[in-house]
Amino acid sequence: MLPLIYINNERGGMMLKLQNLSKTYGKGSVKAVDNVSLEIRPGEIFGFLGPNGAGKTTTIKMIVGLLKPDSGKIYLDNIDVWENPMEAKSRISFVPDTPEVYDKLKGIEYLNFIADIYGIPKDIRQERIEKYLDIFELRNAVGDIIGSYSHGMKQKLVLISALIHDPKLFILDEPMVGLDPKSSFHLKEIMRERCNEGKIVFFSTHVLEVAEKLCDRIAIINKGKIVALGTMDELRRYSEEKESLENIFLELTANE
Amino acid sequence: MNRILALIKMDLSITFGLSAIRHKIRNRNDMIQMIILGIALLSLIPAYLMMVSGLSRIYYAYLNIGQKSMFLLTGILACQVIILFLGILYVMSKYYFSNDLNILVPLPLKPKEIIGAKFISLLIYEYITTLPLLLPFIIIYGVNENANILYWIYSIIILVFLPVIPLSISSIIVMLFMKYTNIRGKKDLLRTIGYIALIIVMIAFQLKMQNLAQRAIDNEDFLYKIITDSTILVRSLGIVFPPSMWAALSLSNLTSISGFLYILLFVIASIAVFYIMLFLSDRVFFQGLIGNLEVSTSGRKARVKSSDFQRQSPSCIAIAMKEVRVLLRTPVYLMNSIGGVVLMPVLMVISFFIEGEESLSMIKMLLETNQRIVNLIGVGFIVVLGFLNSVCCTTFSREGKNMWIQRVLPVSTKDQIIGRILSSMFVQVIGIMVLYGSMAYIRVLTLEGALIIAVLGLLGSIPVGELGMIIDAYRPLLNWDNPQKAMKQNLNVIICMGIGGLYVFGAGFLIYKLMDTVDLLVIYGIAAAIFIVSSLILYKPLEKIIEMRFNSLE
Ligand SMILES: Nc1ncnc2c1ncn2[C@@H]1O[C@H](COP(=O)(O)OP(=O)(O)OP(=O)(O)O)[C@@H](O)[C@H]1O
Ligand SMILES: [Mg+2]
Repeated sequence: MLPLIYINNERGGMMLKLQNLSKTYGKGSVKAVDNVSLEIRPGEIFGFLGPNGAGKTTTIKMIVGLLKPDSGKIYLDNIDVWENPMEAKSRISFVPDTPEVYDKLKGIEYLNFIADIYGIPKDIRQERIEKYLDIFELRNAVGDIIGSYSHGMKQKLVLISALIHDPKLFILDEPMVGLDPKSSFHLKEIMRERCNEGKIVFFSTHVLEVAEKLCDRIAIINKGKIVALGTMDELRRYSEEKESLENIFLELTANE
Repeated sequence: MNRILALIKMDLSITFGLSAIRHKIRNRNDMIQMIILGIALLSLIPAYLMMVSGLSRIYYAYLNIGQKSMFLLTGILACQVIILFLGILYVMSKYYFSNDLNILVPLPLKPKEIIGAKFISLLIYEYITTLPLLLPFIIIYGVNENANILYWIYSIIILVFLPVIPLSISSIIVMLFMKYTNIRGKKDLLRTIGYIALIIVMIAFQLKMQNLAQRAIDNEDFLYKIITDSTILVRSLGIVFPPSMWAALSLSNLTSISGFLYILLFVIASIAVFYIMLFLSDRVFFQGLIGNLEVSTSGRKARVKSSDFQRQSPSCIAIAMKEVRVLLRTPVYLMNSIGGVVLMPVLMVISFFIEGEESLSMIKMLLETNQRIVNLIGVGFIVVLGFLNSVCCTTFSREGKNMWIQRVLPVSTKDQIIGRILSSMFVQVIGIMVLYGSMAYIRVLTLEGALIIAVLGLLGSIPVGELGMIIDAYRPLLNWDNPQKAMKQNLNVIICMGIGGLYVFGAGFLIYKLMDTVDLLVIYGIAAAIFIVSSLILYKPLEKIIEMRFNSLE
């Protein structure tokens, strides 16, 4: 799989590139994200780790168009995300950490709405939606209004809505929180599958085992700065004795 | 008692946002907003002074026919009726839809205590809002009468008890209403329809009472009685709302024992009605409240069918559909948007109906001779509904926490604008239908009129919609957890009404000026041109502001 990816890359293929991103909130003085640069290759599952308040959500929001960076650039497929938002957004889908969706719409109405916006024809949307409804066992609930859903059901609905247009870049903020074991198993499968098709999955998490098992590469961010980046093997090289990701994480993010 | 005091204190500080204001003064942006609000309030002062001087003329008019106590009744009655009507709105949102209920209800408090505290906080709110209205009446009368200390003491007692009866009655109506409409599954629809019906019934009742009072005056020997009895007018018209009559009579019979008896009656009645309300609250309040957060589900019927997958529609249509669905399914939105455009034409007809056949036929005669002016008025009416429906000027605010969806989706600003204007058009079309019905009822609807009203009315709704969206995009209110805040308590609605009102007034004035010199057919053309040109002028800034806002939110 790996060689293929690099070939893609040389052809100027699909790739997510963050260049010197910085962001300070409001009139604050602390940089929530401080000069972050990352390159994520096609076919990669990229894990984004870091303690609370490290800047994960902030970084993700800048990629998906929810927060304008103070400085720095984000490219997807060589498209500047903030210069050509329409083109970039049609390739991205985003699952936020809290699933806020229109309470008064029925699940199926929301999915149709999203499909309309991405211009998905009826037969394709039906096929994809039904597939994911079965996977996430939401078939019996999509006719009800979203206000009647549990937290996890809302989250699954947002997941499905994010998969309708088969995005090249799938970004998730702490996707495993609140999902039952079966659903999070299926989600991991879906993430894996997408990468095998050469698409990118980028997610933040606090669950180190998931990151360790699932991710091709991992970045650890602390106080807005990337403190470690690489495959699991490369991360291990940061320190001889620290075998587990947990130990590496704890050492790198320790308050000096 | 201590608990109630604590509740009242908390409620007041939330209602009037005391700590929020303190916080705001520090923030520069909010500061500017406060200054603008202050200027807006200051600009009302000349109008207020004009009203006061008008009032003193009314006083002399009543004085001349020997019925000066009628002046007092006018003021007191106006205040109490306004409190009664607006009270229904306030009570509904305060008792049943406020955020603190989630905290209060689980606490070991009796309904009586919760309602009592909420009632008193509403009462204080009413004092602040009715004082500027009532005070001129009291002062003009008192100064002209060279009133003694007893007059001012009575006045203070009246001011204190004035809102109690109307507010208690609204509380009782609302609590009973909420109890009997609390039916699983159909609650939202039932309450919306019931609410509109309730307002219509109350206004009809009020108008009918006025009509009855009018009849009493039209009596043969009434003129004779006016000369001999200085309170006959008050006692005839006061039956509309007896407590107002008692208060007015107590002030006008100051020196006699009957004045004392009237004020006693006023105070005792106020306290009694208040206690009846409290007593009732213990029995029905929770029954109306329970299940307010519940949403019905349909079980297996909710399974997807092939027909659930719609054919692809363009982004702007998808947005319009989503807007309309949310509008229709959220009671507060429904009442404020569609409720408004349905209520206004219906009220127009009711007032004709109550006035009786004679006035109806007179108006008809007046209108029939000038059908085209009727059509223009109809167009103006629809354009006014275009901002009164508050759809566009709260369109982004209503997104609230769901705003992220609109911002991550690849939707062009153009589609956003068109979609949201279309959702306002949907409401406007309902308004037009109801207006047709009302016009047909007073027999002034023609085919030409229907066509002109539909075309020009919708065209004219575009610029006011754009205007509303500019305001809402400029200062969207996104951080709310209760939809009330997005529409009913949104300052954007008031700003939009102000600016929209100016726009309609300006366009209307222009057309009125042209009316004498130009053929009415040409005027239709001019109106269309005004609407189209202003839509085009507003489009670019609107696009810019939306893009700026979508980019800059945090
Ligand atoms: N809306 C906001 N306004 C002001 N500061 C914010 C805002 N959101 C986040 N911050 C600050 O930015 C920094 C980074 O926050 P961010 O949400 O990106 O952290 P995170 O890595 O996602 O944390 P968590 O694991 O808790 O989700 C924090 O210091 C936080 O206080
Ligand atoms: Mg986060």
